[in-house]
Amino acid sequence: MNATHDVAYVLVAIAGLTIVTIVTRSSFFMLPARINLPERVERALRYAPACALTAIVVPKIFVPNGELFVSVQNNQMWAVLAAAAVFAKTRNMMVMMAVGMAVFTVLRLYA
Amino acid sequence: MTKLRETLVPPLDPAGWREGLRSMVTPGIAIAAWGVVTGVAMVKVGMSVPLALLMTIVVFAGSAQLAVLPLLVSGAPLPIVWVTALLVNVRFVIFAAAMRTYFSQLPWKQRLFAGYINGDVGFALFLMRFGGAPERGTTFQWGYFFGNASVNWASWQVASIVGILLGGLAPTEWGLELAAVLALVAVVVPMLNRVPVLAGVVVTAVLSVATIHIPLKLGLVISVLAGVIAAVVVAPAHVNKSADAKRAA
Repeated sequence: MNATHDVAYVLVAIAGLTIVTIVTRSSFFMLPARINLPERVERALRYAPACALTAIVVPKIFVPNGELFVSVQNNQMWAVLAAAAVFAKTRNMMVMMAVGMAVFTVLRLYA
Repeated sequence: MTKLRETLVPPLDPAGWREGLRSMVTPGIAIAAWGVVTGVAMVKVGMSVPLALLMTIVVFAGSAQLAVLPLLVSGAPLPIVWVTALLVNVRFVIFAAAMRTYFSQLPWKQRLFAGYINGDVGFALFLMRFGGAPERGTTFQWGYFFGNASVNWASWQVASIVGILLGGLAPTEWGLELAAVLALVAVVVPMLNRVPVLAGVVVTAVLSVATIHIPLKLGLVISVLAGVIAAVVVAPAHVNKSADAKRAA
């Protein structure tokens, strides 16, 4: 079952996501000047995006079909590790994409 | 049309606008690459073309869109979907706090619109250019901001629409869904340059796998909260240590 085929579910999700975009981006543009972000809160918020993206990416790689798959045969893992290393060095997104997809394709076809 | 423009957009200085356009051209290429990947990823996970188009046009937030895709595929509860997007987008709250004094003179509709179209690159460029400006809220600054934002918006939208329309043509075995994971990795990697972030990411990574079977995808929220707490706990010790090292040197 792929829930993206449930049109009503996706439409409501999109409506909420749009509100999330507006609420976060316009937040302090709309609030009165006397309301500020406490420094401690701001520091905590700085860590949230990296953690949230990690919580999405890591299970995508290591729990691909609902089963834990930590193995040298995990092609996605090698592709992501290679791409991350390339990106850390080059900061070039096109090159990292190409390397990641190439590693994945070679392993898929020949490993 | 003119009326709508006057309602949503403040007066723009043409020289500022042109400078804003120019400074966004090179980053615009990277944003376009990102847009194509997001577009392809949306249709590759099985979303229909009309829904994918609607999503990219109105949500207009690449990382958040890519992050919620696996959740939408598995039919995760909507609050989890929204909280995930909120966590990924929370950086914009910090951006808005840093930029507000340049826009606080404007009527609320113009502030709302300026916030909505403000992206990561635009934020960085704007503060690099005007961070030390003695006067805040000039037509030159608004021109620069909207010049920036226009290129950002156009390159994102055109590229993601191209990705959506072409993505369906590629065979599934090519593993193009992997491109979405790689795109998110490209966002995380530059963030990993400080010890607290690394600590938070490691804790989140371990817990996100360990909690995968907790119902309603609540494991995601738990692992992010634990990661943020870990980062905050590690942060002061780390900051003090580097301050001590500086003093000793």
